[in-house]
Amino acid sequence: MTGFLQPYVEYGSEWWPLLAEAMLNTALLTIAGFALSVVFGLALLLCQTSSSKALRGFATVYVTTLRGVPLLAILFLLYFGLPGVGITFDALTAAVLGLSLCFAAQVSELFRAGLKAIPKGQREAAMAVGFTPVQSFTFIILPQVVRVILSPMIVTFVSLLKDSSLASLITVNELVLTGRAMATEYFLPLQIYVAVGLCYFMIGWPFSILSRRLAAPAAR
Amino acid sequence: MPDFSTFRLILEGLLTGLSVTVIVALAALVIGLVLGFGLCLLREFTRIRTVHFTIDAYVELLRNIPALTHLFILYFGLASLGLRLSSITAAIVGLGLIGAAVTCDIFRAGFRSLPKGQIEAALAVGLRPGQTIVSILTPQAMRIALPGLSNYAVQLVKDTSVVSAIAAPEIMFFARSMVTSSFQTTLIYATAAGLYLLLSLPLMQGVRVLENHYGKLKA
Repeated sequence: MTGFLQPYVEYGSEWWPLLAEAMLNTALLTIAGFALSVVFGLALLLCQTSSSKALRGFATVYVTTLRGVPLLAILFLLYFGLPGVGITFDALTAAVLGLSLCFAAQVSELFRAGLKAIPKGQREAAMAVGFTPVQSFTFIILPQVVRVILSPMIVTFVSLLKDSSLASLITVNELVLTGRAMATEYFLPLQIYVAVGLCYFMIGWPFSILSRRLAAPAAR
Repeated sequence: MPDFSTFRLILEGLLTGLSVTVIVALAALVIGLVLGFGLCLLREFTRIRTVHFTIDAYVELLRNIPALTHLFILYFGLASLGLRLSSITAAIVGLGLIGAAVTCDIFRAGFRSLPKGQIEAALAVGLRPGQTIVSILTPQAMRIALPGLSNYAVQLVKDTSVVSAIAAPEIMFFARSMVTSSFQTTLIYATAAGLYLLLSLPLMQGVRVLENHYGKLKA
């Protein structure tokens, strides 16, 4: 056991700045991906609830396809595949785009379930006391939807954080890729990948706890 | 523009990886289900603090760290200790261990949702605690856990693509190696994506059927 821990004592001061920077990159990638997937998810939700049959059909096909294809295939398609037809992204853009296109499907499903959970009477009552449709959505429906979906949204956020590790395979310089570079430099893959894993844990675990705290009262 | 014979060649190349994808997914599923159920029973039906703590720590560590990192620890990390796993073994063990953490939570939610009266009634009519768990509680908990478990199976099929990163020869691995020898990148990755879709669509349909069926039972 002391043999396993020895490199951390020896190289800890060299490793930590590298890992800290990579953690920041992973966090930024995750936040950008999540923000964009909420935007795309809301756009999908609008398609799903629209009166146009074509838009609804598009949303259904999109959600089914993107939930059935692994993120890695999407990332490779965006980064390595699209240049073949003349569309080129840099690695970071491809990663953010790939993550958000994939997670938009999940986010829109969450929103839809959240909207379904609000009884119709809420909207009717808001309209009856004189709220405009926009007001009743913004002040009555939306706050309740947010309350319902907050916990699963945080779970989705943590999955996105974990899946952002796949961006390393299209050369985005986040935690795993930094870890790989360090592993070749120091020849200590076990210690370094364990450290990388703990870095993810430090970011993700607080959110996991938070989502459970938020879910508990809603379940009662 | 690539013609049809190129497409056939690509498809044949990718299908070479299909068997490994299926084997890894099935083996990981079995490990995940069996180990996860065992962990769930230990967590729910023992009162030993250390056991509870260990299982909780296991579940949290495996669920909050990316599969890719776990695979690298198993494949590259353990090799540095002299424990060399083949890439397929590492893939199965890695995805199986992660799956155990996931299914442990799903099974636990199933047991938790059963009313206490079930245990009390079973014990009152003279069943032993073991019998109560096996013949009264487990069948009911399974029914509640089923949609969650099938959702996990869909996720698992997609997650097998990640094991290409440790060179396990599955669909994505062949896609990546074909790209280096031909320049049909768009077609190759699009075909790979389509192949995964064909694998997961029937599973997703199954999930929907289960959700509808057991959703109705609950209501």
